[in-house]
Amino acid sequence: MMGIAAFMWEGRVGVESEVARLRRGDLDALSGLIARYQNRLYRYLLRMVRQPAEAEDLFQQTWVRLAEKIRHYDSNRSFEAWLFTLARNLAIDHLRRIRPESLDEPISSDSQGETAGARLASRERPPIERIFEQERAGRLAGALETLPVTYREVLTLRFEEEMKLEEIAQVLDAPLSTVKSRLRRSLDQLRDCLEMRYPGENWQ
Amino acid sequence: MSEHDEIRDLLSLAAAGALDSDEEERVGRHIRLCALCSSALDDWRLVAGGLRRLPTPQPSRGVVERARIMAEAKFSEDAEHRWNRGVMIFLIAFAWVLTLLSWPLVHLVSEGLQGLLDPRLNQAWIAFALLTTFGWLGGGMAAILLSSRHRRERRLA
Repeated sequence: MMGIAAFMWEGRVGVESEVARLRRGDLDALSGLIARYQNRLYRYLLRMVRQPAEAEDLFQQTWVRLAEKIRHYDSNRSFEAWLFTLARNLAIDHLRRIRPESLDEPISSDSQGETAGARLASRERPPIERIFEQERAGRLAGALETLPVTYREVLTLRFEEEMKLEEIAQVLDAPLSTVKSRLRRSLDQLRDCLEMRYPGENWQ
Repeated sequence: MSEHDEIRDLLSLAAAGALDSDEEERVGRHIRLCALCSSALDDWRLVAGGLRRLPTPQPSRGVVERARIMAEAKFSEDAEHRWNRGVMIFLIAFAWVLTLLSWPLVHLVSEGLQGLLDPRLNQAWIAFALLTTFGWLGGGMAAILLSSRHRRERRLA
């Protein structure tokens, strides 16, 4: 427990120092921040827009936006929440422009063929003893993709990015109570979706 | 709504670690006595665990490298803009001060110290200073408006 806390503290200090260096114009710090957040940021964007090509484009735009805005970043805020807010704003603008309906409506997986989540889960052939777990992950990822973007993002921020509720509230620019109710509704809808797609299996 | 139903509504948030301490205590107390809710919480934990362990997609090295190059270029471009803006502001201020100083300086050189104390000269100098101030302020406002318009257009493009 102490080890995890020390590791998190070191990580936080490391981020703060890299952000401070970047604000002073040290471009090496930018590489450090990209290396630190690349996978998480890309995963978040992919969960938001679902299409790898669009997620890659938004990933690049997010770092350009960061370079543009870093001087206005308030160091009292969580850097992580600020970075994900930049990414979210770009993703929402993109969805509003390209697929405005996707901001409200879940998409039927039947009309989409294999989903990106399922593709991600089945990219590699797993060892036999992990098939069950992989299959379950694929089903979860597939079900996650059918949820509306507002539900997908709150689930990915909480479970995959492991953000605190306060940080999620910052990213979504919403009160804590809204985050909690959205989290509950998204879990309920995820469960309903799983029960509908895989009847007979115990998803609660 | 019974206590059982209220707790049942909280179980998904309990598995997500999103309850406050009071709610957590209530849920903890209830599930010790209610096998149904205890089992439901286990199921929610299974879903939560599954979500936490979803495979992490990774961007390709090329995408990351392009993002780094684009961000660095933007960073350098903005730094250059800031430098240019600073130099321009300095030069404008310098030219303005030089303009204002040139009038009394010419009088000092041509008429000596007495020429400087002439009240007519002072009034004319104040009028001149005000005129140039308004001129520079007008120019500055136009520059700010044009620059913000340019920025807006660039963002929309």
